[in-house]
Amino acid sequence: MKKIWKHPEEPQNAKRYWRSVAELDRREDFLKNLGREFPEGDTLNEEERENSRREFLKIMGASVGMMGLASCRRPLINILPYTQHVEWMVPGKSLLYATTMPQNGGAVPLVVTTHEGRPTHLSGNPLHPLGGGLSSFAQASVLDLYDPERSQKPMGAGKELSWAKANELLAAAIAEAKKSSGASLGIVMGGSTSPTYQRLLGEVKAAFPQIKLFQYEAVGGEGQSAASKAVLGADVKQFVKLGSAMRILSLDCDFLGVDPVAGEPISAFTKHRAKDKATVDMNRLYVLENRYTLTGGMADHRKPLAASLIPVAAALIAAQLGDASAKALADTAPASLKDWIAPAVRDLIDNKGKAVVLAGTRYGAEVHALVASINNALGAYGSTIDLLQAPAAPELGTFADLQTAIGGGQVKTLISLTPASLYYDAPDAAALAKLVADKGVKLIHVGTQTNVTSRQAALHIPAAHYLEVWGDVRAADGTYSIVQPMIAPLYDGASRVEILLALLDRKKLGPAEAAAPAAAGAAPAAPAAPAEDAAYTAVRDTFATVAGSLDETKWNFTLRDGFLKGSAYAKAAGAPNVAAVAGIVAKATPAVAPTDDALEVVLVPDSSVYDGRYVNNAWLQEAPDPVTKLTWENAAWIGSFTFRRLGLKEGQHVKITVGGAEIEIPAIEAPGHVSNSITLPLGYGQIGVGMVSGDRGVNAYALRKQPGTFVLSGAKIEVLSTVAELAITQSQNTMEGRAVYREGTLDTFNKDVAFAQKTGMDGHIPENISLYKGQVGVKSETNPDGFDYEKQHQWGMTIDLSKCLGCTACIIACQSENNIPVVGKDQVRKGRVMHWIRMDRYFAVSKWGTHKNEDGSVGVDQESTFAEDNATPEQLENAEMVQQPVACQQCESAPCETVCPVNATVHTPDGLNAMAYNRCIGTRYCANNCPYTARRFNWFDYNKRNPLIDTTVLGMKVGNLYAGPLGEKREDESIRLQRNPNVTVRMRGVIEKCTYCVQRLESAKILQKQVQRDSKDFRVPTDTVKTACQQSCSADAIIFGDLADPNSAVVKSKASPRDYQVLKYIGTRPRTSYLARLRNPNTDMPGADQIAVWSNNQF
Amino acid sequence: MGNFFPRWSNWLPLKLAIAVVFIAFGVSVGIAYYFTPKYTRVGYEPTQPVPFSHKIHAGQLALDCRYCHSFVETSSHSNVPTNQTCFNCHGPGKGNIRSNSPKLEMVIKANETGNSIPWVKVHKAPDYVYFNHSAHLNRGISCVSCHGKITEMEVVRHDQPQSMGWCLDCHRNPEKNLRPLEFVTKLDYQAGDLKRDEFYKSLIDKKVPAGEIATTIGGEGAKADTLEQIVALAEKTYGKNVTQTEVGTQIKKHWQIQPPESCTTCHR
Repeated sequence: MKKIWKHPEEPQNAKRYWRSVAELDRREDFLKNLGREFPEGDTLNEEERENSRREFLKIMGASVGMMGLASCRRPLINILPYTQHVEWMVPGKSLLYATTMPQNGGAVPLVVTTHEGRPTHLSGNPLHPLGGGLSSFAQASVLDLYDPERSQKPMGAGKELSWAKANELLAAAIAEAKKSSGASLGIVMGGSTSPTYQRLLGEVKAAFPQIKLFQYEAVGGEGQSAASKAVLGADVKQFVKLGSAMRILSLDCDFLGVDPVAGEPISAFTKHRAKDKATVDMNRLYVLENRYTLTGGMADHRKPLAASLIPVAAALIAAQLGDASAKALADTAPASLKDWIAPAVRDLIDNKGKAVVLAGTRYGAEVHALVASINNALGAYGSTIDLLQAPAAPELGTFADLQTAIGGGQVKTLISLTPASLYYDAPDAAALAKLVADKGVKLIHVGTQTNVTSRQAALHIPAAHYLEVWGDVRAADGTYSIVQPMIAPLYDGASRVEILLALLDRKKLGPAEAAAPAAAGAAPAAPAAPAEDAAYTAVRDTFATVAGSLDETKWNFTLRDGFLKGSAYAKAAGAPNVAAVAGIVAKATPAVAPTDDALEVVLVPDSSVYDGRYVNNAWLQEAPDPVTKLTWENAAWIGSFTFRRLGLKEGQHVKITVGGAEIEIPAIEAPGHVSNSITLPLGYGQIGVGMVSGDRGVNAYALRKQPGTFVLSGAKIEVLSTVAELAITQSQNTMEGRAVYREGTLDTFNKDVAFAQKTGMDGHIPENISLYKGQVGVKSETNPDGFDYEKQHQWGMTIDLSKCLGCTACIIACQSENNIPVVGKDQVRKGRVMHWIRMDRYFAVSKWGTHKNEDGSVGVDQESTFAEDNATPEQLENAEMVQQPVACQQCESAPCETVCPVNATVHTPDGLNAMAYNRCIGTRYCANNCPYTARRFNWFDYNKRNPLIDTTVLGMKVGNLYAGPLGEKREDESIRLQRNPNVTVRMRGVIEKCTYCVQRLESAKILQKQVQRDSKDFRVPTDTVKTACQQSCSADAIIFGDLADPNSAVVKSKASPRDYQVLKYIGTRPRTSYLARLRNPNTDMPGADQIAVWSNNQF
Repeated sequence: MGNFFPRWSNWLPLKLAIAVVFIAFGVSVGIAYYFTPKYTRVGYEPTQPVPFSHKIHAGQLALDCRYCHSFVETSSHSNVPTNQTCFNCHGPGKGNIRSNSPKLEMVIKANETGNSIPWVKVHKAPDYVYFNHSAHLNRGISCVSCHGKITEMEVVRHDQPQSMGWCLDCHRNPEKNLRPLEFVTKLDYQAGDLKRDEFYKSLIDKKVPAGEIATTIGGEGAKADTLEQIVALAEKTYGKNVTQTEVGTQIKKHWQIQPPESCTTCHR
């Protein structure tokens, strides 16, 4: 008898979880594709529709004609051993090195996995005081190293130059500058905290006493640094102790996402988000923001607020805390904001010394000054924020100073060392380019990409990737962290340290032996020994000043650990000068709330390309935006009120005009977005950077005219008729509306700690009476077919939804570790994304209203609050957002295994649902039968053929994937060097999915065998093996380990009362389980009763 | 109506059917023999760029395999030595042995230019197979089990089929190939050369209970308390000389050798 499981109906009066508005409203276009594994073929693009059947046959005929029988002879394969032994190098084993990724104002401590000298994978450095997970940017930066389209040759005014010529031009510019003792020379730095830069800048300043130094980052904190300087003092750095802060209020500060604060790693924050015992305290997060960010998703209380009103909100809080200077601004606040802020601030006051207020870096000095005043009043300084005294750094001018210096003709040669691209992302970039040209300024640009600035600069010098160079950087707490090369520069690029050394005449740029090329056939010269490298010497000299002396032992420990122990900044001596706040606030321009006719435009860094620097990184481009799930481009996010008022369709183009500038961009409806506000992600619309970047997206920088402004008011919007085809993954691989997400409030938890295990049908699941008796459970006398927990490892995983931010770093870590290909925008549109982890982002609204009962409790109305059965814009604006990563659940009783006709997917004794690629024939039955839609199919040879380009076949232009064997192969591309040699590179026609990083499990077991030898001790030491996603998780949300080892973290985690299995009632017995999310609402806040009711009403 | 077809054609369909059966059988046998690794791989003996003789080095001079293949116990890959290893004996200023021999010309040249010697790969696992040397060598599988008697080969020859079925044969019955760790690189080891009392003593020294050793020899019910009793029991069961099955079974049992047979063992 075939048993058909009926999925339980979603309870109508419970909270509704949905991914897209179309799903919530049950629109026809959504229902049509529901239940389909892949959308129907109507997502073909124009070009493909034109390929008629006849043309198809022509291509096929040609392909067959060109195919020959593969040679039957055994191919001759050579083994090329090293001629000289390389220290530490064991062929076939990976080597780990500690290094650091420099970032604006900080550093990301890393451990780099290298295979035979190739860096292949990055993970956080657990030894480093600020080590932890990685952001998706850091995780994906290894791909940038191998980008075949990186800038490789110097250029002069767009023409390729030899290194000799480039050196000559640079020397001439330096000689010229020397004459005026540097008066005509300017250098633009990025926001680096490298002690070697600072030391060398000091030396440069000594050599060129009149030199002008500036600092510019595209998405910079100019307002923040100005306020910090005035209120906290020069060279004083804030270090936010997220782990000590039990109450956090964020004023549009996406500190869990793209706007990190200098402070403890995110895991310090998430440590207090979860609770498995009633005795533990949870922290509470309040967020005010105009759009959903990852931080907003984690909030206990969130209010959509126009970005223009953030200064007002800051003033309101400050005024409530007794700052008189904020009174005038605070009075302009709307009543609803006052109602929201009053109880929140009371909560902050009640938690004095454990509270902190954070503001987004993109806001002006007045917001940051007010926040300093607030934090001072809350007693945050010294408790939740440490003030650290950094060593005095050379004075750097702002971007406005740079404009003045160029306009005034003082600077004749400008060296740009900032990672930003001046002619693309500077405020009013076109005017800047014109000014530079008019004034005859020679721009010397150093960068890794061939972008617009590289092409227009008088001299462009290719920069080396940070994995190729010697350097150093101070982490947020001041810890001296080393940047060491993993590989010799692939394209002879120069590091920024080397440029400074060239200015000091200590280094010649370019390939080491370029002057005397070796005879043909001879070996390339051995790389220069590190001791002769000028940058190495410079870093060692800096190290000597930081460490006190050049102690070889300390130096070697620094190289091994990646940082120098005990080198953090000292605490600052002075107290904040709150008196300075009034002056800064008085200078601020008054805030204007957006209206229907004068909207606000909010420019935000993008989750994929940040400020534009990662635009040619295919992993990041294909990783869906955590909030909108948009890939490969940007779009204007518009709140439901405005979106519906304008009568827009998803992807419809709009023209946005502000301050005389205009752009045309597709619009998408963004739940949780405030009305009359438009969010524009930055960084797209760069032309000529490469095939990944293409000309995708729209350049939102074009709207910005003033430095330091990211909120533009008075915008007009005009609806255009064209509709763009966007690649949004939110409706792909759906769970068909089944209740898979579980959450509750702290109150729910305190009433019943095991609430998550009783939600839905879980409380009363009947016994599984299926005839199929799979291998399930623990082997025992009564269950002889079970898994052997005594003689085998049994792998399992938990994902804590209380901690998971939804940042997609795990997706990219998985991609890097498991050789997952990129498929390109067209394929994404067709639902063919290959990511093994799918980050499901759900919005949630409660369909039915609530009322107060006589006894004061809150009850649920029996009437829908939806207008015509659709959610109202107001409900959409206040929707909640939750995230749930889903990969293969490694079911013990796996539905995929029973349907495979060729046994390509089978169970291993250690509980993995294994996938043998070389057996798979691609029936896709397994993918069809997977209730978690966790399996992915290789529709094309994405690894062999570049999916991003077009090829010409018999005079026709077709997508490269569709050209079959006539397409362009990519076997020689440098991207290949990134591949993990321990994972099969999959071919076309096979299914793949999460393997729990089986290569890591197997090598851990083999490592144990090397220890075990002739003993019985087979078990891998507790918690020593980690999956790539777990390693990359900044929030510590993923726990993996051996279920058969009672001491392992995963066993403890599975014992949590919040532990539940997704779709438990169908009896698949997944090895991956989830810990339900907990929220900690403040009962005094408006809307708190709603949150509580909807959480308590789920079961 | 005349007979259009001659009489003999009446039997044609049957004859054809029989012929097809024979041909199909022949083709199957042919494919099974000629197209499988037993034929395609075994005996492959490519000429190497340097006429290095394993027979002289590993056989005559009895160099341990791990002198050159130094990481074989720690890495998945059995490394081919660097020039430095050759030069330890042949190098000028070192052993200087036969450093003028024309056979060494390429090695000397490689050392000067830094270009590797292009050795020809003999044993090639497919790309989707992740074989690990260290997992085998550390657990009592000798080089000889997969590579044959390299010590007797002037030029290295592919000795075993190394097909998946061949791998599984051993993973299912590892006792046929297991040997004590100290003999892993002794290619001419024979189980019969072992002294029975020494072998069992080594197990007892490893704190294996005598009772367990006895049951492994004689099955349930067999009992022994002392080394002498064990040896007597083994002699009764296996005969006068130590046999491979005897050694293999003991090792399998007491080292907890459970060769994995799941796909992920080799395919990832």
